[in-house]
Amino acid sequence: MNTRKFKDAIAKKIMFSFCVFILSLAFLIGFILYQKAKPILGVQNLWQLLLSGKWHPTTGQFGMAGFILGTLWVTLIAVFIAVPVSILTSLYLSEYMPKRVKEFTKPVIDLLAGISPVIYGVWGVIAVVPFVRDYLMPFLSENLPFFPFVSDNYTGFCALSGGIVLAIMISPLMVSVMGEVLGAVSFEMRETSLALGATRWQTIKFVVLKKAWPGIIAAIILGISRAFGETIAVLMVAGCSIQEFPKSIFDTAYPLPALIANTYGEMMSIPLYDSSVLLAALILLVVTILFNIIGWGILFKSENE
Amino acid sequence: MKFKTHISIKDLNVWYEKHQVLNNINIDIPDKKITVIIGPSGCGKTTLLKSFNRLIDLQDGVMVSGQVFVDGENIYDEKIEVTHLRKKMGLLSQRPQVLPMSIYDNVAYSPRIHGLKNKKKLDELVEHELNEAGLWNEVKERLSGPASKLSIGQQQRLCLARGLAADPEIILGDEPTSALDPISAEKIEQRFLDLKNKYTIVLVTHNLRQAKRLADYVIFLYLGNIIEYGKADEIFKNPKYSKTKDYLNGKFIEEHKIDKELNLKGTVCPDNFVKTKVALEELEVGQVLRIIIDYEQAVIEVPKTIEYEGHKVLEVKSINRTDWEIIIEKRNDGEI
Repeated sequence: MNTRKFKDAIAKKIMFSFCVFILSLAFLIGFILYQKAKPILGVQNLWQLLLSGKWHPTTGQFGMAGFILGTLWVTLIAVFIAVPVSILTSLYLSEYMPKRVKEFTKPVIDLLAGISPVIYGVWGVIAVVPFVRDYLMPFLSENLPFFPFVSDNYTGFCALSGGIVLAIMISPLMVSVMGEVLGAVSFEMRETSLALGATRWQTIKFVVLKKAWPGIIAAIILGISRAFGETIAVLMVAGCSIQEFPKSIFDTAYPLPALIANTYGEMMSIPLYDSSVLLAALILLVVTILFNIIGWGILFKSENE
Repeated sequence: MKFKTHISIKDLNVWYEKHQVLNNINIDIPDKKITVIIGPSGCGKTTLLKSFNRLIDLQDGVMVSGQVFVDGENIYDEKIEVTHLRKKMGLLSQRPQVLPMSIYDNVAYSPRIHGLKNKKKLDELVEHELNEAGLWNEVKERLSGPASKLSIGQQQRLCLARGLAADPEIILGDEPTSALDPISAEKIEQRFLDLKNKYTIVLVTHNLRQAKRLADYVIFLYLGNIIEYGKADEIFKNPKYSKTKDYLNGKFIEEHKIDKELNLKGTVCPDNFVKTKVALEELEVGQVLRIIIDYEQAVIEVPKTIEYEGHKVLEVKSINRTDWEIIIEKRNDGEI
């Protein structure tokens, strides 16, 4: 064999092995996390770990319900803010904005999606937290003194701040996916509706959204899955002290990813501590993958219809 | 020519970007007659048709000058309510465009958006219009089924019923039968003949025999100019201009220059689409691909997806009972 062919064969083999390595990473990570989480699962019941709110590592209590609820609470707030904003933004971009302007705005939105989370976190600390502390919380808790606006946490580092920062982080992703979905509705379909005397808004409501609905749901699911896993920005603004059950949007929240980032590597002498944290990581991984599969599944299916 | 005018066009010019598509158009379209616009591809027939209900406004970079009077009102006046104007005109496009809802909801769409809520009245209206379009007997058992499951011929008649339900005065047809098989096409033609007592009908067609069968008046359009306009029998028997004569004799019936052909008979969706896409990838921008298909659903789906990919569908035509040809011009390279 001459060197030319030899190099070609080697190059192919190397590329192939890297490709396999990358593709197997997800399984590898999942497998290792499972191995590491096994010790605690051997001692304690999984459901009990998930449902108990008692997190006292020193006494061997590793209930994660507080963190799971914290994740859900912050995510819920984020979705509540981001979904309407994203839907309306993407509708404006696809239905009203002239093509020339769109060529400029689309990269800007993609750019927003690519900004490092820590920047959003810092921005959250210097802008969102004071805003929530000085304006939003006094205003809301005075005018609406009931669930979920009552709290004794006056720092501004709370679930709402986390939710706002998260909402801003997941919106570009959702706008981008929704834009694709809306773009897939044909021009003729809109033209047909308009030709029947519908206004633009009626066309959007009855035709465009109807056609794009599954895709929009998928975009929201992808946004949620991103929000679940987001760590650093939330960690910086959400307060991160343990709550057993979220009672207010102004209470602190301690989501799972923040728990992992904050505690893994410390206090490792406590028995089962690292195992429990890695179990949390495994749960996060499974949930995120699941949501991604569902989201892309819906997108794929609606594209093929 | 002496007739009651319904649409009157004065000095109409239309540009797309810098390209002038219509040149100083001046015509009157008669009330309750069938007027047929003929002419080679790309001569502005569709643009002229869509300027009547201002659908051309939706195109990017379009510029219009001149006036179009419908019932004596200039529709390009700023004060005009465009939704009201469009409601006056039912549009049938080349490929039937059913809305993503049930058969019933398709027909009830326009009455509903214009405020009719009474269920009984809607029921009556839907039945009446489906009857008018000659579709009622075929669909009365499955009104709540999705409209997209109908055959193309049925879909086009559904579009007709939906247009009629808006209670229009004018029906515009942009080659409404070209994608249909001969029998479905005949059904639509028959509907037009039945409806012309009640509506003003303006049709664009490529099919000269169809034009002869249907037209009361004929407009011959060439490169954005009206060459000849008059009573159908006069123009067909005795064209005044040599260009019209040539066109009628088939001398310059435009043929698209085909760079590549692809026979996709026997393939289903989305296989045929994927094969089309692969074939397009091998072409240069601006080259033309002709595909032949015999899978009915593809007649709507393939052009739609191809256009979504950014290419231009030049023509979709039924060539015999089972086959269609789709002519596509490659427009973009790779990414949209």
